[in-house]
Amino acid sequence: MTQILPRFSTGIPGLDTVFGGGFVEGASYIVQGHPGAGKTILANQIAFATAAAGRNVLYVTLLAETHDRLFQSLSTLSFFEKERLGSNIVYVSVFQTLSKEGLGAVVDLLRKETKRQSASLIVFDGLLNARDRAETDLDVKTFVAEVQSQAAFVGCTVLFLTSAGVQDESPEHTMVDGVLELHEELVGVRTVRRLRPRKSRGSAALGGYHQYEISGDGVSVFPRIEAAFHTPSATDNPDPRPLRSGIEGFDEITGGGLPQGSITLLIGPSGCGKTSFGLNFLSAASPEEPGLHFGFYESRDRLLIKAKALGLDLQGHIERGEVDILWQPLTENLLDKLAYRLFDAVSARGVKRLFIDSLGGFERAAVHPRRLVEFFAALTNELRAMGVTAVGTWELRDLFASGVAAPGPEISSLLDNLIMMRQVEIRSEYKRVMSVLKIRDQSFQAAPQEIHIDGRGLAIKGPFQPATGISTGLAKPLEA
Amino acid sequence: MKIVVAEDEFLIADLLVVSLEEAGHEVHDAAHGADALKLVRSLQPDLVITDFMMPLMTGLELAEAMKADSALQAIPIILVSGAQGAIARSRADLFDLVFDKPYAMERLLTAVSELRGERL
Repeated sequence: MTQILPRFSTGIPGLDTVFGGGFVEGASYIVQGHPGAGKTILANQIAFATAAAGRNVLYVTLLAETHDRLFQSLSTLSFFEKERLGSNIVYVSVFQTLSKEGLGAVVDLLRKETKRQSASLIVFDGLLNARDRAETDLDVKTFVAEVQSQAAFVGCTVLFLTSAGVQDESPEHTMVDGVLELHEELVGVRTVRRLRPRKSRGSAALGGYHQYEISGDGVSVFPRIEAAFHTPSATDNPDPRPLRSGIEGFDEITGGGLPQGSITLLIGPSGCGKTSFGLNFLSAASPEEPGLHFGFYESRDRLLIKAKALGLDLQGHIERGEVDILWQPLTENLLDKLAYRLFDAVSARGVKRLFIDSLGGFERAAVHPRRLVEFFAALTNELRAMGVTAVGTWELRDLFASGVAAPGPEISSLLDNLIMMRQVEIRSEYKRVMSVLKIRDQSFQAAPQEIHIDGRGLAIKGPFQPATGISTGLAKPLEA
Repeated sequence: MKIVVAEDEFLIADLLVVSLEEAGHEVHDAAHGADALKLVRSLQPDLVITDFMMPLMTGLELAEAMKADSALQAIPIILVSGAQGAIARSRADLFDLVFDKPYAMERLLTAVSELRGERL
């Protein structure tokens, strides 16, 4: 039978997931990255989480920077608790021991100190500096091997921090159980932080790059959702009954509304009524079917004004806790962070009606657009498994165009239902039209429908007058 | 004055040693409490200046060991500490003075010379 090794939780949001449940207890890891990548914050955050769990930490530095300066910068982070210093987190410098007596003496000191502190975790900050001295007695490989074997003997986990780009073939790499690489890089004009587990012995890690950020709470990691949610976290139990749409006339032409646990793509150019569709859809929310507006464009207050103009009591729904609005400005976003924010908001309130305005907000956040198909596959699978009926918008570029550019075919095929809305010019008038192009497992009327948006919301008035070219926005009436 | 400095952090130890030497003292330094205790036993200094958090033996343990030894218990001890000032102040029996890091070197030098004045 396969065994699962006991885990050491890092206490860093997302990092345990990357390492398949946490570090392996008693194992040793190299954390490497350029200065500024966040190694020290990451290691201290793990140290304080370990201490908060009632275990002892030995933080050993080989750096010139004083501990005092370190504490000063750590004091700006929420996990730092000054009271723990000297009690269950001890910071010691072995710089002098190294320079006077060499690496062998450091190994000896670490062994005694680990025992003295009954440490469960050792952080060794400054492996590069050890290498500078290494020609004198022990080499770094032997040093790493000795430190980790004496720590493993007492079940203590070790993190070696180094700013050197330790190569795959380097001897240190072969000694340790895991390697975590931190990167900060420029993509266009923005910087993106990404980390990558390069080695993970005894535990299946999520390979490849994962974005992370450093905020006042320290490091948060956002494991790529297509890797973390390779298969959905819950079993998909499709409910065959449709969910009423909240749009007058819509349920009649779609066999009862939108299929429960389905994903609808609502495409159309700016001003065609997509957001109104969403507000109507959310206005059908109830305590049993909570709604969420996950938008990139309008702030909460602007949406409330818009809903009021449509005669919808969004404010009342919000006050009763039936609808919530989560706005993420379309500025610099992290793709996976957006997904986790959405998942968290959905599971926190058991959201059943979700309106995403728009899916393009995710696309804009993608640093590597080639990921998007897999990203949307994981996102939509997880939403379905959570029993969410979601409507996502997609902006068409041209108000009037002969071609209709929906998102790539790979993305469209991940969605269950497809609805197009646009303004149509006919007989020197602009009219609004909605075409239901696809509804999963339900029969629907495929004819274009004329819609009205007024003080009583968005409503379907009936089939559009016979014409050609409706989907381009420039229609010609079919004369009898 | 003959002074033993116990400090694991190289930069701080170096600055302390140089400043005290410039003020005319004879200074011996140790990178941790255990080494410092050895120095104190062999040198019988007039003063010990110690950090709190150090490998092998903390400043607190060093002070306790000195106070338990009749040959060393009269030697005054100054604690210089980043975060454990409060713990140290509650042990007035161990420490003559407590300085919180960061501190002005001038203040420490003044305190050292005042201690000498008291003892003479």
